[in-house]
Amino acid sequence: MRQVYLSLVIFVILVLEGVALELLPAQTFGDLFIISHWVLVCLIYVAIFYDSEETNFSLFYAFFFGLLVDIVYTNILGVYMFTYAITIYIIKKLTRLFQSNLLSTILFGILGITLTDILIYLIFTVIEITELPWQDYIIYRLLPTILANIVFLTVIYPFITKKLIKWKKSR
Amino acid sequence: MSLFRKKRLFILLIGIIILVVLIGYSLRDRDKLTIPEQFVNDTVGWVQSIIYTPVNFFTDIFTSIDDIKNTYQENKILKEKLSEYKTLIYEVQELTEENEELRNSIDLTDSIRDFNPIQATVISRSPERWMELVTLNKGSQAGIKKDMAVITADGMIGKIQSTSPYTSTVQLLTGFDQFNRISATISREDGKDIFGLIEEYDEESNSLLFKIIDESDKNLEEDELVVSSGLGGVFPSGLPIGTVKDIIPDQYGLTQTALIEPAADMYDINHVIVVDRSLPGDEDVADDEGDE
Repeated sequence: MRQVYLSLVIFVILVLEGVALELLPAQTFGDLFIISHWVLVCLIYVAIFYDSEETNFSLFYAFFFGLLVDIVYTNILGVYMFTYAITIYIIKKLTRLFQSNLLSTILFGILGITLTDILIYLIFTVIEITELPWQDYIIYRLLPTILANIVFLTVIYPFITKKLIKWKKSR
Repeated sequence: MSLFRKKRLFILLIGIIILVVLIGYSLRDRDKLTIPEQFVNDTVGWVQSIIYTPVNFFTDIFTSIDDIKNTYQENKILKEKLSEYKTLIYEVQELTEENEELRNSIDLTDSIRDFNPIQATVISRSPERWMELVTLNKGSQAGIKKDMAVITADGMIGKIQSTSPYTSTVQLLTGFDQFNRISATISREDGKDIFGLIEEYDEESNSLLFKIIDESDKNLEEDELVVSSGLGGVFPSGLPIGTVKDIIPDQYGLTQTALIEPAADMYDINHVIVVDRSLPGDEDVADDEGDE
């Protein structure tokens, strides 16, 4: 039953991501592109606080929701599925080395978002969806995106960790 | 331990192969989405419209309050303009009637200008901004088909990229690449129209590249209106696309490229009209027309 709740929450966040961008004026930040990676942030939380060493829920979620993002928002299958899965896999391996607290979560968040965004940029450059030079990419896109998503990650930290730990214990 | 390493490497390789196959499959020129994709799109679209409607209601209230502040001044200006338009409306009516009569007299009833409008609302926008896609709340059940033009009151904003029964995806002009060309024209008096192709969106100058295929003895001027010409066979003619911002010669100096600033705002899109051309465009016919 917890699984159903958890998937529903991530699904709603995936839906909100698209609606929020439509309702918020996008050009208020001038030249900077801020990409919301809310689904990824949630997946990182699941990997750190919900999964134990033996279980692989976060990996399955990464596959499934990556594929959903692909279908709904890009029309190119596989890109997000692959990058989310790899990112979550690496983070899951690293969680053994650190205690789970706010600082380590922020570190994992920075690592995960950077990795995902760069991987997606690389794939889209290879298949010629974008021709943005990498210097511009890093300054106008990567850095603001990391900052904004870390703010989001820190804001939801107290709410989401309590729930996740409770769900993990009752499993 | 070495067994595990091998297994891991094996999985990674299989993952990369699947990725390449999937990307190759989706980059192919697909006519239709697969049924699972359509189902997912419709489900997500349904949830999006549930969330979108009440939230949009509240944001609308705030914009309305903002609008009320300016109402008095706007009203004054609009009244002045209205009196000018009254005579214009009369003239247009006369002209339309005359046009119809003339068309009837030569048995030419269909025109590539005519289209059936399909009203739709934007319910979401792709959060990752590599692909400029927005989702509409109507799909193939409402008569929307792939490659139809999408316009707002100001001008063209894009074309339909894919449809599901109850939602459809629009590729915005800002995401156009060399595979999405629009045949366009600048209207001049005495039949000296300038024809060309809108080739792609240039992110550096934030404008569309309008490549002129005519020999360029007719000098372009800034602020001229570029409209679709309807010769591509899909879009009707006369949809405003944008205004000329700057003109650059190509590297051999033979043709000119104009930078076009899109007429419609690509960020603040709410209600759109999907344009269903009345006159069916046959691919072969369109090619012939383009050659002339």
